[in-house]
Amino acid sequence: MASSIIWYLREFVRGEWISRFFTVKTPPLITPPHFRGFPILTGKECTHCLACMMICPTPNAIEVLRTGDVWNPVIYPGHCVRCGMCVEACPEDVLSTGVILETQKAEHTSYTATFHLTIDPVLCKRCGNCAVACPVNKEIDPYLGGTGTAFSDEVIMRISDGEMRVIHPEKCTGCKTCEKTCPNHAIRVARVVEGLQEAGE
Amino acid sequence: MQEIKDMVCPFCGCLCDDVTLEIENGEIVATDNCCAIGNAKFLGKNRLKNPIKKVDGKWVDITYDEAIDTAVDILLDADRPLLFGWSGTHGEAQCVGVHMNEILGGVIDSTTSVCHGPSILAIQEVGHPGCTLGQVKNRADLIIYWGCNPIEAHPRHMSRYTTYADGYFLDNAFRNRKVIVVDVRETETSNVADEFIRIKPGGDYAVLSSLRAILRGKGDMIPDSVAGVTKTQLIQVAEMCKTCKFGALFFGVGLTMAKGKYKNVRNAIEFVDDLNRHTKFTLTPMRGHWNVYGANEVMSWMTGYPYAVDFCRGVAFYNPGETTAVDILARKECDACMIVGSDPAAHFPHSCVEQLRDIPMIVIDPFQTMTTTLADLQIPVAVTGIDAEGTAYRMDGVPLKVKKAIDSDYPSDTEILTRIYDIMLEVKGL
Repeated sequence: MASSIIWYLREFVRGEWISRFFTVKTPPLITPPHFRGFPILTGKECTHCLACMMICPTPNAIEVLRTGDVWNPVIYPGHCVRCGMCVEACPEDVLSTGVILETQKAEHTSYTATFHLTIDPVLCKRCGNCAVACPVNKEIDPYLGGTGTAFSDEVIMRISDGEMRVIHPEKCTGCKTCEKTCPNHAIRVARVVEGLQEAGE
Repeated sequence: MQEIKDMVCPFCGCLCDDVTLEIENGEIVATDNCCAIGNAKFLGKNRLKNPIKKVDGKWVDITYDEAIDTAVDILLDADRPLLFGWSGTHGEAQCVGVHMNEILGGVIDSTTSVCHGPSILAIQEVGHPGCTLGQVKNRADLIIYWGCNPIEAHPRHMSRYTTYADGYFLDNAFRNRKVIVVDVRETETSNVADEFIRIKPGGDYAVLSSLRAILRGKGDMIPDSVAGVTKTQLIQVAEMCKTCKFGALFFGVGLTMAKGKYKNVRNAIEFVDDLNRHTKFTLTPMRGHWNVYGANEVMSWMTGYPYAVDFCRGVAFYNPGETTAVDILARKECDACMIVGSDPAAHFPHSCVEQLRDIPMIVIDPFQTMTTTLADLQIPVAVTGIDAEGTAYRMDGVPLKVKKAIDSDYPSDTEILTRIYDIMLEVKGL
């Protein structure tokens, strides 16, 4: 009996095993540089151009919200798929994740985008949700954004002559807020995005 | 081309007062800021032309004087006249209607009895924790639409009063406001909701009671599923309601006319009452028919009761279920009827419409409706907000002065009713 206990102890309490247990070499617990987490703010000033919302492929993953007089993008982790396209699309480098910003700088890449707004008059109820919620409209005509009453013809779209009409499609930033607020899927924002690369120095 | 600003829309209970009309040759040719249904009413072309009377099954053209005399004869000959409708007209005409009903000893009822009548019964029992739509727009960060589909029935409600307009006390109102829709089926409104609760038809009372139990910390007693809604979702919704800063519950006939009727609304009011122990919460019925709120106000201040007022005893008597239009017609009690600014033939049960067809019926309305086809006497009038002016109440109880946009030869409801009333006084020697 005693000899078998000693045998077990000699078998399992080996000096080599004990020293390896305390001095084991595991890889360091740091995030590798190529890893992309949820985008974080870099502290640079957001200009509320909404390019991040325009490019985002996932519904409800990013919004540009105002705190006092400052705009900043807000990421919703439950929806965000960490594709990093918002980081690439932002012209002001407000967001950052992984090595995207460095790579972009090194390779001189950027995006340009054009938009095409269409409204199906058969589906449209003229409820005004899109025109009132549109963040660009809210800046151009705060009265429309605050009360639902359009005064200015400088807005992207408004209800006039009994129809929801797109008046200034060139002002659209492609953020898709209108699509999201339309209950009948009557308004569509087609986005044509091109990736550009300048010649390196 | 003449442009008139700040006109009040004559269609639904939102009473949008920011409509711009373009007038050409005395006709409205275009509207700005109006939704699809408001636009259709402003541009409506199917107006009744002149008074007509049915003689031996055929329509005969008559003058307004003859029409008024015929109306007086029909109403004074009746033992139990019913004066129904009133929601499509202005407050001044409703006042004349109540006076007329008093000398006739008839029943006056508004379209309330087939829409938000149960809401009023519940409010009479437990009160109305309400507020104006301006408060909702400027403060609310949680909106609940229960049994209603504002995109179809009140298209501008969400963009103008609740969800997407900026709020004075909110930084990102149009993005941060949460919208909960409770309905028995998916609707346009549920497409834009943050949370959609789909309940089995008739399950409103149980769901409201469950939410109240959760709020009072008695969630343990709730089964895993209540009327098709999971317990997890109920707990989540109760938490959303409890943690918001200012919530607003809007409900439609999906709640008032579902199984349980006024008890549903009573439960909803008590749910709001419970929530007010945690946060600020309000409740507003989605009044649909333009000035239906005004009809309740006028009848309340003149008779003490909001609708279904019976004057056959010489004094006002009110007993919904007995003195409401549908019940009086279903019992075939009513022997003459005057319909003002509403379309019961399109909305009443079949047996009631049969009774309307069989008794002498006067219809005072600007447009062709299903009711006008069954009438014995049609008196065309002006539309308040287009060619007549008056006072109307918005769904939150705010009275608005409604201007007229164009002049026409049509008399207003007030004018026609006053002339009928004056002759009645003369005949009765009062």
